[in-house]
Amino acid sequence: MVKITWMIGGPQGSGVDTSATVFGNALARAGYYIYGNREYHSNIEGRHSYFNLTISDKPMHSISDDVNILVTFEAESIFQHFREVRDYLVYNKAVESTKLAAINSIERETAEDIEKFLESIKVPPTVEGVLDYLRGKGVKLVPVEYDKILASVADEMKLSVATISRSRNIIAAAVSLKLLGLDKEYLAEAIRGLFKNELFVKANLLAADKAYGLVNAVYGLKGIPINGHRVQLDGNTAVALGKIAGGLRFQSYYPITPASDESVFIEANQVVEVIDPDTKESRKVGIVVVQTEDELAAINASIGAALTGARAATSTSGPGFSLMVEGLGWAGMNEVPVVVTYYMRGAPSTGLPTRSGQADLLFSIHAGHGEFPKIVLASGDHVEAFKDAIWAFNLAERYQTPVIHLVDKSLANAYSIIDETELDYSSIKADRGKVIVPSGEYKRFQFVDDHISPRAFIGNAVMHYTGDEHNEEGHISENVNNRTKMYEKRMKKLEVADKEIPEELRLNVFGEGDIAVVTWGSPKGAVLDAMEELKQEGVSIQLIQLRMFSPFPRNLVTKLLKGKSKIIDVENNYTAQAASVMALSTGIEPTNYVLKWNGRPITRTEVKTAIKQVIEKNEKRVVLNGGQ
Amino acid sequence: MAASKIDIKLYKTQEWVDWCPGCGNYGILNAEQMALAELGLDPKRTVIVSGIGCSGKIAHFINVNGVHTLHGRSVAFATGIKLANPELEVIVNAGDGDQLGIGVGHFVSVGRRNIDMTVIVHDNGVYGLTKGQAAPTLPRGVKTKSLPEPNINDAINPLALALASGYTFVARTYAYDVKHAKETIKAAITHKGLALVDVLQPCPTYNNINTKEWYDKRIYKLENWDPIVRSEAEMDEKLSKALLKVREWGDKIPIGIFYQNEMVPTYEARVEERVPTYLKNPPAKQEIDKNGAFITSIENIIKGKRVI
Repeated sequence: MVKITWMIGGPQGSGVDTSATVFGNALARAGYYIYGNREYHSNIEGRHSYFNLTISDKPMHSISDDVNILVTFEAESIFQHFREVRDYLVYNKAVESTKLAAINSIERETAEDIEKFLESIKVPPTVEGVLDYLRGKGVKLVPVEYDKILASVADEMKLSVATISRSRNIIAAAVSLKLLGLDKEYLAEAIRGLFKNELFVKANLLAADKAYGLVNAVYGLKGIPINGHRVQLDGNTAVALGKIAGGLRFQSYYPITPASDESVFIEANQVVEVIDPDTKESRKVGIVVVQTEDELAAINASIGAALTGARAATSTSGPGFSLMVEGLGWAGMNEVPVVVTYYMRGAPSTGLPTRSGQADLLFSIHAGHGEFPKIVLASGDHVEAFKDAIWAFNLAERYQTPVIHLVDKSLANAYSIIDETELDYSSIKADRGKVIVPSGEYKRFQFVDDHISPRAFIGNAVMHYTGDEHNEEGHISENVNNRTKMYEKRMKKLEVADKEIPEELRLNVFGEGDIAVVTWGSPKGAVLDAMEELKQEGVSIQLIQLRMFSPFPRNLVTKLLKGKSKIIDVENNYTAQAASVMALSTGIEPTNYVLKWNGRPITRTEVKTAIKQVIEKNEKRVVLNGGQ
Repeated sequence: MAASKIDIKLYKTQEWVDWCPGCGNYGILNAEQMALAELGLDPKRTVIVSGIGCSGKIAHFINVNGVHTLHGRSVAFATGIKLANPELEVIVNAGDGDQLGIGVGHFVSVGRRNIDMTVIVHDNGVYGLTKGQAAPTLPRGVKTKSLPEPNINDAINPLALALASGYTFVARTYAYDVKHAKETIKAAITHKGLALVDVLQPCPTYNNINTKEWYDKRIYKLENWDPIVRSEAEMDEKLSKALLKVREWGDKIPIGIFYQNEMVPTYEARVEERVPTYLKNPPAKQEIDKNGAFITSIENIIKGKRVI
């Protein structure tokens, strides 16, 4: 099995994304799968950013700390990542003499960490020093004279270097692809597919030509025949696609990282095609996307839209969700099917706006004063994010209650290459719940056996809603009997949901073994990929990926965890929040914990090491700190 | 919508109206019910969206759809309701504390959108339901009987703020002049665009300064005042004049329509420009499945994401 890790670093705004996109696109054309994580600062230009990609002949779900090829343009990326590189460092020959102290864009703490490390191994804090050190470790150095290549491209095309300076990114991709051994034509196709401007296509092809001659092919990758189509998806897009397919017709949002890309994508595709499945007749309809003044308005506008019958949603991350909690309570009290996509980023407060985290699980479950039912589900990869976005609407309408769909920042911004067939959602049927068009008097909150009142849309009947406790008509009532009964009606809906939603859909189980790993969200990918490696080393693990936390699949979890010699909880937070939900629901506590809260996703390499530490040394709590 | 006059009884619910005796809200309630009846609005297709406070309860007293929402947030709810189903007649009822205090951000922001709906502000200068604290329209230095000290904050002028925010219909009326209030509300509802009706409303329980007697002496109706903008060229002049006029306060307080401009496209029209089927087939009216099978195609979007 091929598993190669490639990393590219550079200042934000310099085109690192372009390199990674072109590189990934060429690899996809050659038949390879990719999972790539994007790390960046809360900054538009100048701070260090990087992509970490794993290339494989099988679908991948995680990244690694062992970087086979590190590609850089400037000195900072070398300093930031030289400790991770194992095989090749591609660097700009022009920065060889750069000193660490001369780099302004690097954060002081990071510079100090690097300096301390270099001091401990007696390496001077210069690029030259680091290069020597890497050479000694067996890493091969590939100096690239980017400026010279660009100058010759410019010269041949009779253009200024400034015009084609972005071709620098193509040089990086080309050198990498050549090292991998892939035919240049894959890159040429990617360039032709991704760039519209003829001039840039030409300049990029020329730059690629020149770069291909710089190195030898070493990894021996060959093109793999592909059946069917593959798509490149990030988490924001996966959710957007799911929402559109699932019938979203109203989305309101306030700009926030890392959520807004989803809403922007929906707006860019707001005119959608509906096709009658029987007659195949097609027509265009619209999704309304409203950028509101804040997150208070965002959730309340989508609640308003939901009252009229439109499938409505909003999308945000922690700081925005904090503001939305007020509206969420109203939706709970008024049994409104509204979907909130909640991208978790580093918290609390502004936290790490562009980094990842899983510290908002308990907040989601308990958001709002008082008690009201809500459904909380969490996706573990891009395909799940897509399908869960559809499922969320069904759950919201069936149980007439808010649904919170959790997605980690690392999934939102990471991308993977997926077989198009994986996005087949024909098995998910639309469930709009109990919708009626009343003919006479209508009671929105009518007491019924299963506690879910028939729902009419505003426009089809006269009805009343209020955030106050209310009677069946939706008018204010403080009567004790009504209060007891209406409160119970709302709460019982979660019991109904718990009975109806198969527990098998609320978690995933992978592998078999007497050691269980319990996780949720993006760490799923790291654990899955680590499990495969562990298996080759004779360690068998069963992974239980929790997908729904409210209502929690307590019976199945209890059954699965019975008799396990170890239960290892893996999460991107400090307090092991999923484990505490599990303990509360089942009474079962993990025996060991692997936790990480530095804002970076869990890698398969570090989780593998941690699991081994737990098994071999029975370490109670392993704290991870990988990434830059 | 049906334009024939309907019996006002049809617009009353069975709920007991629990405001204090003499409250200005009664005048607003009557005026609004009469306006709805005279316009012959279909209760099923009419929505009152209210906030929190004494005024918020009005949603329970009018027999149309009533959405009694959160403190300050009613225009946000109303935005979603109206944009998801532009066929609905949407009226927001909010107090001055509600709309101009906690909800002032939404009040301003909704002005940028010119959604075709009506915002009625119950303006009594106090937070009634929490026993009379100073609200945003109470002038500085005024000490109502419920305040321990004179009001330390300057007052917001709701009309000036609405004009600055882009409301295309700006009017003031008086709760004890039910006929004037009714006519103003009717004009606001029929206006194409976002309308503000600021209703001066005594709070007999907590505001012993701005009483009925106080207002009766001062209020006069705008006369020889043409609020309507008929061309782009007139806009600045009419807006400036209105801004000055709405500031008149003290011995004489004008009521009436200060500004009306139907030349600004509504938000709905702006959406229609992007989504040509929007008004004919708005979000609330769309089918999303046929016998459980989803009908929205994402095939072309997925094609755009293909790498091979």
